[in-house]
Amino acid sequence: MLSPYDWQESISQRAQYIENRIKSGSPIVGLSIDAGCILYTYRKHIRKVYEVYDRMMFSAIGQQADVESMRVTSIDFAHQEGFAHSEDDVTIGRLVGFALSGPMKRAFGDLTVAPFVIHALFAEMNAKPAEDLFIWLHYDGDFVAHRQFAVAAGTRDSEKRMVEFLSSAYRPDLSVEEAFGIADQAWRIGADRDVDGVPDEELLSDAFPEIGFLERNVERVRRFRLIQQDSKHSR
Amino acid sequence: MISNSNPRSFADLVGFPDSLRSPTLGAHDTHGTTVLCLRYKDGILNLGDRRATAANYIMYDRAKKILRLDDHTLVAISGSFARSTEIARYLRHAFKYYSRTQLQDMSVEGKLQEVSRALAGNLSMSLEGIGIFLPIVSAYDPASDSLGIYFYDVMGARFESGQYGCAGSGSHRIQGVFEYIQRQQGNFEERELEEVLLDGLTMLDIASELDSATGNLSMPLPIAKTLTKHGIEDINEQLLRESVLSVQKGKG
Repeated sequence: MLSPYDWQESISQRAQYIENRIKSGSPIVGLSIDAGCILYTYRKHIRKVYEVYDRMMFSAIGQQADVESMRVTSIDFAHQEGFAHSEDDVTIGRLVGFALSGPMKRAFGDLTVAPFVIHALFAEMNAKPAEDLFIWLHYDGDFVAHRQFAVAAGTRDSEKRMVEFLSSAYRPDLSVEEAFGIADQAWRIGADRDVDGVPDEELLSDAFPEIGFLERNVERVRRFRLIQQDSKHSR
Repeated sequence: MISNSNPRSFADLVGFPDSLRSPTLGAHDTHGTTVLCLRYKDGILNLGDRRATAANYIMYDRAKKILRLDDHTLVAISGSFARSTEIARYLRHAFKYYSRTQLQDMSVEGKLQEVSRALAGNLSMSLEGIGIFLPIVSAYDPASDSLGIYFYDVMGARFESGQYGCAGSGSHRIQGVFEYIQRQQGNFEERELEEVLLDGLTMLDIASELDSATGNLSMPLPIAKTLTKHGIEDINEQLLRESVLSVQKGKG
Protein backbone atom coordinates (compact mmCIF):
# COMPACT_ATOMS: atom_id res chain seq x y z
CA MET A 1 0.00 0.00 0.00
CA LEU A 2 1.34 3.38 -1.03
CA SER A 3 1.13 6.05 1.65
CA PRO A 4 1.09 9.79 0.80
CA TYR A 5 4.58 9.91 2.18
CA ASP A 6 5.78 7.18 -0.20
CA TRP A 7 4.21 9.01 -3.11
CA GLN A 8 5.97 12.24 -2.27
CA GLU A 9 9.19 10.38 -1.75
CA SER A 10 8.89 8.62 -5.10
CA ILE A 11 8.03 11.84 -6.88
CA SER A 12 11.10 13.58 -5.57
CA GLN A 13 13.22 10.59 -6.55
CA ARG A 14 11.73 10.78 -10.04
CA ALA A 15 12.51 14.48 -10.23
CA GLN A 16 16.04 13.81 -9.09
CA TYR A 17 16.45 11.01 -11.61
CA ILE A 18 15.25 13.24 -14.47
CA GLU A 19 17.35 16.20 -13.39
CA ASN A 20 20.40 13.95 -13.31
CA ARG A 21 19.65 12.83 -16.84
CA ILE A 22 19.17 16.33 -18.25
CA LYS A 23 21.86 18.23 -16.40
CA SER A 24 24.50 17.38 -18.99
CA GLY A 25 22.34 18.60 -21.87
CA SER A 26 23.55 21.27 -24.27
CA PRO A 27 21.86 24.61 -23.42
CA ILE A 28 19.43 26.29 -25.83
CA VAL A 29 19.19 30.03 -26.42
CA GLY A 30 16.10 31.67 -27.93
CA LEU A 31 16.29 35.23 -29.30
CA SER A 32 13.71 37.33 -31.05
CA ILE A 33 15.08 40.03 -33.36
CA ASP A 34 13.71 42.17 -36.19
CA ALA A 35 14.87 39.66 -38.82
CA GLY A 36 13.14 36.75 -37.11
CA CYS A 37 13.29 34.23 -34.34
CA ILE A 38 16.36 32.20 -33.40
CA LEU A 39 16.98 29.00 -31.45
CA TYR A 40 20.71 28.53 -30.95
CA THR A 41 22.42 25.48 -29.55
CA TYR A 42 25.39 23.13 -30.03
CA ARG A 43 24.82 19.56 -31.10
CA LYS A 44 26.87 16.43 -31.61
CA HIS A 45 25.54 13.47 -33.56
CA ILE A 46 21.84 14.08 -33.47
CA ARG A 47 19.83 16.99 -34.75
CA LYS A 48 18.51 19.22 -32.02
CA VAL A 49 16.39 22.02 -33.52
CA TYR A 50 13.16 21.13 -35.31
CA GLU A 51 10.52 22.98 -37.29
CA VAL A 52 7.05 22.36 -35.89
CA TYR A 53 4.82 24.53 -38.04
CA ASP A 54 4.87 27.59 -40.33
CA ARG A 55 6.05 29.97 -37.62
CA MET A 56 6.98 27.52 -34.87
CA MET A 57 10.02 25.51 -33.86
CA PHE A 58 11.44 23.81 -30.82
CA SER A 59 14.56 22.34 -29.35
CA ALA A 60 14.97 20.16 -26.30
CA ILE A 61 17.37 18.62 -23.84
CA GLY A 62 16.68 15.07 -22.74
CA GLN A 63 16.30 11.53 -23.90
CA GLN A 64 16.16 11.19 -27.64
CA ALA A 65 13.06 8.97 -27.60
CA ASP A 66 11.16 11.60 -25.60
CA VAL A 67 12.36 14.43 -27.84
CA GLU A 68 11.19 12.45 -30.86
CA SER A 69 7.83 11.72 -29.29
CA MET A 70 7.38 15.41 -28.45
CA ARG A 71 8.38 16.40 -31.98
CA VAL A 72 5.84 14.08 -33.61
CA THR A 73 3.05 14.98 -31.19
CA SER A 74 3.68 18.69 -31.75
CA ILE A 75 3.77 18.40 -35.54
CA ASP A 76 0.61 16.29 -35.59
CA PHE A 77 -1.27 18.64 -33.30
CA ALA A 78 -0.20 21.76 -35.22
CA HIS A 79 -1.06 20.30 -38.63
CA GLN A 80 -4.42 18.96 -37.51
CA GLU A 81 -5.31 22.35 -36.05
CA GLY A 82 -4.03 24.25 -39.06
CA PHE A 83 -5.90 22.07 -41.51
CA ALA A 84 -9.15 22.01 -39.54
CA HIS A 85 -9.12 25.77 -39.01
CA SER A 86 -6.47 28.10 -40.36
CA GLU A 87 -2.70 28.33 -40.29
CA ASP A 88 -3.08 31.51 -38.26
CA ASP A 89 -4.96 29.70 -35.50
CA VAL A 90 -2.02 27.49 -34.57
CA THR A 91 -0.07 28.84 -31.59
CA ILE A 92 2.57 27.40 -29.26
CA GLY A 93 0.44 28.48 -26.31
CA ARG A 94 -2.30 26.08 -27.34
CA LEU A 95 0.17 23.41 -28.44
CA VAL A 96 2.04 23.37 -25.13
CA GLY A 97 -1.00 24.02 -22.95
CA PHE A 98 -3.40 21.56 -24.56
CA ALA A 99 -1.35 18.86 -26.25
CA LEU A 100 1.86 18.54 -24.24
CA SER A 101 1.66 19.83 -20.70
CA GLY A 102 -1.24 17.61 -19.55
CA PRO A 103 0.19 14.26 -20.69
CA MET A 104 3.62 15.22 -19.28
CA LYS A 105 2.15 16.07 -15.92
CA ARG A 106 0.19 12.82 -15.87
CA ALA A 107 3.23 10.73 -16.81
CA PHE A 108 5.31 12.45 -14.16
CA GLY A 109 2.76 11.85 -11.41
CA ASP A 110 1.91 8.29 -12.40
CA LEU A 111 4.51 6.06 -10.80
CA THR A 112 3.57 3.13 -13.02
CA VAL A 113 4.71 4.79 -16.25
CA ALA A 114 8.02 6.26 -17.35
CA PRO A 115 8.21 10.04 -17.01
CA PHE A 116 9.34 12.26 -19.86
CA VAL A 117 13.02 12.99 -19.57
CA ILE A 118 12.89 16.26 -21.42
CA HIS A 119 13.30 19.97 -21.01
CA ALA A 120 12.18 21.97 -24.02
CA LEU A 121 12.07 25.44 -25.48
CA PHE A 122 9.41 26.36 -28.05
CA ALA A 123 9.50 29.47 -30.21
CA GLU A 124 6.75 31.20 -32.15
CA MET A 125 7.35 34.04 -34.58
CA ASN A 126 4.71 36.69 -35.15
CA ALA A 127 4.49 40.02 -37.01
CA LYS A 128 6.84 41.94 -34.67
CA PRO A 129 9.62 40.90 -32.26
CA ALA A 130 7.53 42.17 -29.35
CA GLU A 131 4.83 39.66 -30.30
CA ASP A 132 7.14 36.66 -30.61
CA LEU A 133 6.71 34.09 -27.91
CA PHE A 134 8.96 31.53 -26.26
CA ILE A 135 7.65 28.80 -24.00
CA TRP A 136 9.91 26.97 -21.60
CA LEU A 137 8.50 23.53 -20.88
CA HIS A 138 9.65 21.43 -17.95
CA TYR A 139 9.58 17.64 -17.60
CA ASP A 140 6.70 17.77 -15.08
CA GLY A 141 4.44 19.66 -17.50
CA ASP A 142 5.10 23.04 -15.94
CA PHE A 143 5.57 25.79 -18.51
CA VAL A 144 6.46 29.48 -18.57
CA ALA A 145 6.06 31.99 -21.41
CA HIS A 146 8.78 34.49 -22.24
CA ARG A 147 9.12 37.40 -24.63
CA GLN A 148 12.26 38.69 -26.39
CA PHE A 149 14.58 35.93 -25.24
CA ALA A 150 14.47 32.67 -23.35
CA VAL A 151 16.79 29.86 -22.40
CA ALA A 152 16.65 26.19 -21.48
CA ALA A 153 19.62 24.50 -19.85
CA GLY A 154 20.41 21.40 -17.83
CA THR A 155 20.45 23.23 -14.52
CA ARG A 156 18.55 26.19 -13.08
CA ASP A 157 21.85 27.75 -12.20
CA SER A 158 23.02 27.73 -15.82
CA GLU A 159 19.71 29.21 -16.91
CA LYS A 160 20.03 31.99 -14.35
CA ARG A 161 23.49 32.97 -15.54
CA MET A 162 22.42 32.90 -19.18
CA VAL A 163 19.39 35.12 -18.49
CA GLU A 164 21.57 37.54 -16.54
CA PHE A 165 23.88 37.89 -19.53
CA LEU A 166 21.06 38.20 -22.06
CA SER A 167 19.25 40.83 -19.99
CA SER A 168 22.12 43.20 -20.66
CA ALA A 169 23.19 42.02 -24.12
CA TYR A 170 19.83 41.67 -25.84
CA ARG A 171 18.28 44.30 -28.11
CA PRO A 172 15.46 43.60 -30.61
CA ASP A 173 17.35 45.47 -33.36
CA LEU A 174 20.40 43.18 -33.28
CA SER A 175 21.58 42.12 -36.72
CA VAL A 176 21.47 38.42 -37.51
CA GLU A 177 25.25 38.08 -37.10
CA GLU A 178 25.23 40.00 -33.82
CA ALA A 179 22.38 37.85 -32.56
CA PHE A 180 24.25 34.65 -33.43
CA GLY A 181 27.29 36.04 -31.61
CA ILE A 182 25.33 36.90 -28.49
CA ALA A 183 23.53 33.58 -28.55
CA ASP A 184 26.90 31.85 -28.77
CA GLN A 185 28.19 33.78 -25.75
CA ALA A 186 25.03 32.93 -23.82
CA TRP A 187 25.43 29.26 -24.75
CA ARG A 188 29.03 29.29 -23.54
CA ILE A 189 27.93 30.82 -20.23
CA GLY A 190 25.27 28.13 -19.83
CA ALA A 191 27.66 25.34 -20.84
CA ASP A 192 30.18 26.48 -18.24
CA ARG A 193 28.58 24.58 -15.38
CA ASP A 194 31.58 24.69 -13.09
CA VAL A 195 31.88 28.47 -13.71
CA ASP A 196 35.57 28.38 -14.53
CA GLY A 197 35.20 30.72 -17.50
CA VAL A 198 35.16 28.11 -20.25
CA PRO A 199 32.43 25.73 -21.44
CA ASP A 200 32.64 22.21 -20.09
CA GLU A 201 34.74 19.94 -22.26
CA GLU A 202 32.01 17.32 -22.23
CA LEU A 203 29.59 19.74 -23.96
CA LEU A 204 32.00 21.41 -26.35
CA SER A 205 34.17 18.62 -27.73
CA ASP A 206 32.96 17.37 -31.13
CA ALA A 207 30.02 19.76 -30.94
CA PHE A 208 29.11 22.47 -33.44
CA PRO A 209 26.43 25.18 -33.52
CA GLU A 210 23.00 24.33 -34.85
CA ILE A 211 20.62 27.22 -35.39
CA GLY A 212 16.93 27.23 -36.18
CA PHE A 213 16.05 30.52 -37.84
CA LEU A 214 12.47 31.55 -38.59
CA GLU A 215 12.74 34.46 -41.01
CA ARG A 216 10.22 37.24 -40.61
CA ASN A 217 10.51 39.22 -43.81
CA VAL A 218 10.74 36.73 -46.66
CA GLU A 219 8.47 35.96 -49.58
CA ARG A 220 8.99 32.21 -49.24
CA VAL A 221 6.25 30.10 -47.71
CA ARG A 222 8.89 28.12 -45.86
CA ARG A 223 10.26 30.46 -43.24
CA PHE A 224 12.28 27.97 -41.27
CA ARG A 225 15.95 27.61 -42.05
CA LEU A 226 18.34 25.24 -40.34
CA ILE A 227 21.89 26.51 -40.14
CA GLN A 228 24.58 24.03 -39.20
CA GLN A 229 28.04 25.47 -38.81
CA ASP A 230 29.86 22.27 -39.56
CA SER A 231 30.19 20.88 -43.04
CA LYS A 232 30.96 17.35 -41.87
CA HIS A 233 27.45 16.85 -40.56
CA SER A 234 24.48 17.40 -42.78
CA ARG A 235 21.48 16.20 -40.82
CA MET B 1 1.57 11.99 -26.14
CA ILE B 2 0.99 10.00 -29.23
CA SER B 3 3.42 7.16 -29.07
CA ASN B 4 3.27 5.85 -32.61
CA SER B 5 5.69 8.01 -34.49
CA ASN B 6 6.23 6.09 -37.65
CA PRO B 7 5.68 7.47 -41.12
CA ARG B 8 2.00 8.07 -41.31
CA SER B 9 0.33 9.89 -44.10
CA PHE B 10 -1.22 13.26 -43.61
CA ALA B 11 -4.43 11.85 -45.16
CA ASP B 12 -4.74 9.39 -42.25
CA LEU B 13 -4.02 12.11 -39.74
CA VAL B 14 -6.87 14.34 -40.88
CA GLY B 15 -9.21 11.70 -42.35
CA PHE B 16 -9.02 13.05 -45.86
CA PRO B 17 -10.94 12.95 -48.19
CA ASP B 18 -13.86 11.54 -46.18
CA SER B 19 -13.85 14.56 -43.90
CA LEU B 20 -15.17 16.67 -46.72
CA ARG B 21 -17.69 14.49 -48.44
CA SER B 22 -21.14 15.92 -48.15
CA PRO B 23 -22.18 16.97 -51.62
CA THR B 24 -25.61 18.46 -52.16
CA LEU B 25 -26.79 16.41 -55.06
CA GLY B 26 -28.26 18.33 -57.92
CA ALA B 27 -26.63 21.60 -56.93
CA HIS B 28 -24.50 23.38 -59.48
CA ASP B 29 -21.15 23.87 -57.90
CA THR B 30 -19.05 26.85 -58.80
CA HIS B 31 -16.49 26.19 -61.51
CA GLY B 32 -13.29 27.92 -62.37
CA THR B 33 -12.72 28.14 -66.08
CA THR B 34 -9.56 28.63 -68.14
CA VAL B 35 -5.98 28.17 -66.94
CA LEU B 36 -2.83 27.60 -68.93
CA CYS B 37 0.85 26.92 -68.31
CA LEU B 38 3.64 27.69 -70.75
CA ARG B 39 7.32 26.99 -70.61
CA TYR B 40 9.69 29.89 -71.27
CA LYS B 41 13.44 30.24 -71.14
CA ASP B 42 13.89 30.42 -67.40
CA GLY B 43 10.79 28.74 -66.08
CA ILE B 44 7.08 28.12 -66.38
CA LEU B 45 4.44 30.81 -66.80
CA ASN B 46 1.00 30.15 -65.27
CA LEU B 47 -1.98 32.20 -66.43
CA GLY B 48 -5.61 32.10 -65.40
CA ASP B 49 -8.72 34.17 -66.08
CA ARG B 50 -10.61 35.41 -63.04
CA ARG B 51 -14.09 34.05 -63.65
CA ALA B 52 -15.94 31.42 -61.63
CA THR B 53 -19.34 30.22 -62.84
CA ALA B 54 -22.20 28.04 -61.60
CA ALA B 55 -24.27 26.76 -64.54
CA ASN B 56 -25.14 29.94 -66.44
CA TYR B 57 -24.41 32.28 -63.55
CA ILE B 58 -21.25 34.28 -63.14
CA MET B 59 -20.48 33.75 -59.46
CA TYR B 60 -17.32 35.71 -59.15
CA ASP B 61 -14.97 37.70 -61.36
CA ARG B 62 -11.95 37.85 -59.08
CA ALA B 63 -11.21 34.18 -58.61
CA LYS B 64 -7.61 33.13 -58.07
CA LYS B 65 -6.97 29.87 -59.86
CA ILE B 66 -3.19 29.74 -59.72
CA LEU B 67 -2.19 28.53 -56.27
CA ARG B 68 1.15 27.95 -54.62
CA LEU B 69 1.53 24.50 -53.08
CA ASP B 70 5.05 25.15 -51.81
CA ASP B 71 8.06 27.20 -52.84
CA HIS B 72 8.74 24.95 -55.85
CA THR B 73 5.26 23.90 -56.90
CA LEU B 74 2.34 25.74 -58.48
CA VAL B 75 -1.07 24.37 -59.30
CA ALA B 76 -3.48 25.85 -61.83
CA ILE B 77 -7.01 24.68 -61.10
CA SER B 78 -10.08 24.27 -63.23
CA GLY B 79 -13.45 22.74 -62.50
CA SER B 80 -15.17 22.61 -59.12
CA PHE B 81 -13.92 25.57 -57.18
CA ALA B 82 -14.81 24.22 -53.76
CA ARG B 83 -13.10 20.88 -54.34
CA SER B 84 -10.04 22.22 -56.01
CA THR B 85 -9.27 24.92 -53.47
CA GLU B 86 -9.83 22.44 -50.66
CA ILE B 87 -7.59 19.87 -52.30
CA ALA B 88 -4.92 22.51 -52.91
CA ARG B 89 -5.13 23.30 -49.21
CA TYR B 90 -4.86 19.64 -48.37
CA LEU B 91 -1.81 19.23 -50.62
CA ARG B 92 -0.14 22.29 -49.16
CA HIS B 93 -0.49 20.81 -45.69
CA ALA B 94 0.45 17.30 -46.79
CA PHE B 95 3.75 18.51 -48.31
CA LYS B 96 4.62 20.54 -45.23
CA TYR B 97 3.64 17.70 -42.92
CA TYR B 98 5.84 15.29 -44.81
CA SER B 99 8.90 17.52 -44.75
CA ARG B 100 8.52 18.28 -41.05
CA THR B 101 7.89 14.74 -39.89
CA GLN B 102 10.37 13.04 -42.23
CA LEU B 103 13.02 15.78 -42.01
CA GLN B 104 13.39 15.93 -45.78
CA ASP B 105 11.42 17.54 -48.60
CA MET B 106 9.01 15.37 -50.52
CA SER B 107 10.35 14.48 -53.97
CA VAL B 108 8.57 15.84 -57.04
CA GLU B 109 7.46 12.29 -57.83
CA GLY B 110 5.98 12.03 -54.35
CA LYS B 111 4.13 15.31 -54.73
CA LEU B 112 2.69 14.34 -58.11
CA GLN B 113 1.58 11.02 -56.68
CA GLU B 114 -0.16 12.83 -53.84
CA VAL B 115 -2.10 14.89 -56.44
CA SER B 116 -3.12 11.65 -58.24
CA ARG B 117 -4.33 10.20 -54.98
CA ALA B 118 -6.42 13.27 -54.22
CA LEU B 119 -8.02 13.04 -57.67
CA ALA B 120 -8.69 9.32 -57.32
CA GLY B 121 -10.28 9.99 -53.92
CA ASN B 122 -12.59 12.48 -55.59
CA LEU B 123 -13.69 10.07 -58.30
CA SER B 124 -16.98 8.90 -56.80
CA MET B 125 -18.11 12.48 -56.48
CA SER B 126 -17.01 13.23 -60.01
CA LEU B 127 -19.13 10.33 -61.24
CA GLU B 128 -22.14 11.86 -59.53
CA GLY B 129 -21.50 14.89 -61.67
CA ILE B 130 -20.34 17.18 -58.91
CA GLY B 131 -16.94 18.26 -57.75
CA ILE B 132 -15.06 17.43 -60.94
CA PHE B 133 -11.80 19.30 -61.13
CA LEU B 134 -8.60 19.07 -63.10
CA PRO B 135 -5.30 20.54 -61.99
CA ILE B 136 -2.16 21.36 -63.93
CA VAL B 137 0.92 21.14 -61.77
CA SER B 138 4.13 23.06 -62.50
CA ALA B 139 7.06 21.80 -60.50
CA TYR B 140 10.71 22.59 -60.13
CA ASP B 141 12.85 19.68 -59.03
CA PRO B 142 15.93 20.89 -57.13
CA ALA B 143 17.41 17.37 -57.20
CA SER B 144 17.68 17.27 -60.99
CA ASP B 145 17.49 21.04 -61.58
CA SER B 146 14.60 20.57 -64.00
CA LEU B 147 11.12 21.94 -64.57
CA GLY B 148 8.00 20.02 -65.51
CA ILE B 149 4.35 20.66 -66.41
CA TYR B 150 1.97 17.83 -65.50
CA PHE B 151 -1.73 17.42 -66.22
CA TYR B 152 -4.22 14.83 -65.03
CA ASP B 153 -7.46 13.10 -65.95
CA VAL B 154 -10.35 12.74 -63.49
CA MET B 155 -9.16 9.33 -62.32
CA GLY B 156 -5.77 10.68 -61.36
CA ALA B 157 -3.69 9.51 -64.32
CA ARG B 158 -0.76 11.84 -64.73
CA PHE B 159 0.76 13.04 -67.99
CA GLU B 160 3.83 15.11 -68.43
CA SER B 161 3.52 17.85 -70.95
CA GLY B 162 6.69 19.21 -72.46
CA GLN B 163 5.98 22.78 -73.43
CA TYR B 164 2.49 23.74 -72.37
CA GLY B 165 -0.67 22.61 -70.63
CA CYS B 166 -4.19 23.98 -70.36
CA ALA B 167 -7.41 23.03 -68.63
CA GLY B 168 -10.91 24.32 -68.05
CA SER B 169 -13.96 25.06 -70.17
CA GLY B 170 -12.15 27.50 -72.45
CA SER B 171 -9.14 25.27 -72.97
CA HIS B 172 -10.66 23.06 -75.65
CA ARG B 173 -11.13 26.06 -77.89
CA ILE B 174 -7.49 27.05 -77.77
CA GLN B 175 -5.57 23.80 -77.52
CA GLY B 176 -4.69 23.72 -81.21
CA VAL B 177 -3.38 27.25 -81.06
CA PHE B 178 -0.52 26.19 -78.76
CA GLU B 179 0.61 23.68 -81.31
CA TYR B 180 0.33 26.23 -84.11
CA ILE B 181 2.35 28.84 -82.23
CA GLN B 182 4.99 26.28 -81.38
CA ARG B 183 5.38 25.20 -84.99
CA GLN B 184 5.64 28.80 -86.10
CA GLN B 185 7.82 30.21 -83.32
CA GLY B 186 9.76 27.24 -82.01
CA ASN B 187 9.57 25.60 -78.60
CA PHE B 188 8.18 27.74 -75.81
CA GLU B 189 11.11 26.83 -73.59
CA GLU B 190 13.54 28.64 -75.87
CA ARG B 191 11.64 31.92 -75.86
CA GLU B 192 11.72 35.00 -73.64
CA LEU B 193 9.12 35.52 -70.91
CA GLU B 194 7.75 38.75 -72.45
CA GLU B 195 6.99 37.02 -75.77
CA VAL B 196 5.48 33.93 -74.18
CA LEU B 197 3.37 36.15 -71.93
CA LEU B 198 1.91 37.88 -75.00
CA ASP B 199 1.08 34.52 -76.62
CA GLY B 200 -0.48 33.23 -73.41
CA LEU B 201 -2.62 36.32 -72.94
CA THR B 202 -3.71 36.17 -76.56
CA MET B 203 -4.90 32.60 -76.02
CA LEU B 204 -6.70 33.57 -72.85
CA ASP B 205 -8.37 36.37 -74.79
CA ILE B 206 -9.41 33.98 -77.56
CA ALA B 207 -10.78 31.58 -74.94
CA SER B 208 -12.83 34.39 -73.42
CA GLU B 209 -14.34 35.17 -76.81
CA LEU B 210 -15.18 31.57 -77.68
CA ASP B 211 -16.22 30.39 -74.21
CA SER B 212 -18.83 32.32 -72.26
CA ALA B 213 -17.51 30.99 -68.95
CA THR B 214 -14.05 32.50 -69.40
CA GLY B 215 -13.65 36.05 -68.14
CA ASN B 216 -12.14 38.70 -70.37
CA LEU B 217 -8.70 40.13 -69.85
CA SER B 218 -9.28 43.70 -68.87
CA MET B 219 -11.14 43.80 -65.58
CA PRO B 220 -9.62 42.63 -63.38
CA LEU B 221 -6.25 41.57 -64.77
CA PRO B 222 -5.64 37.82 -65.13
CA ILE B 223 -3.53 36.00 -62.56
CA ALA B 224 0.02 35.53 -63.88
CA LYS B 225 2.76 33.79 -61.93
CA THR B 226 6.14 32.38 -62.85
CA LEU B 227 7.96 29.41 -61.39
CA THR B 228 11.73 29.28 -61.77
CA LYS B 229 14.54 27.63 -59.88
CA HIS B 230 14.55 30.69 -57.63
CA GLY B 231 10.94 30.31 -56.60
CA ILE B 232 7.52 31.66 -57.42
CA GLU B 233 6.78 35.25 -58.38
CA ASP B 234 3.88 37.32 -59.62
CA ILE B 235 4.38 38.92 -63.00
CA ASN B 236 5.06 42.57 -62.41
CA GLU B 237 1.74 44.43 -62.64
CA GLN B 238 2.96 47.05 -65.07
CA LEU B 239 4.30 44.45 -67.50
CA LEU B 240 1.05 42.51 -67.23
CA ARG B 241 -1.07 45.61 -67.84
CA GLU B 242 1.01 46.66 -70.85
CA SER B 243 0.92 43.14 -72.31
CA VAL B 244 -2.86 42.96 -71.91
CA LEU B 245 -3.24 46.35 -73.62
CA SER B 246 -1.03 45.24 -76.46
CA VAL B 247 -3.03 42.02 -76.94
CA GLN B 248 -6.26 43.99 -76.98
CA LYS B 249 -4.86 46.54 -79.42
CA GLY B 250 -3.80 43.71 -81.72
CA LYS B 251 -7.42 42.66 -82.12
CA GLY B 252 -8.14 45.90 -83.93
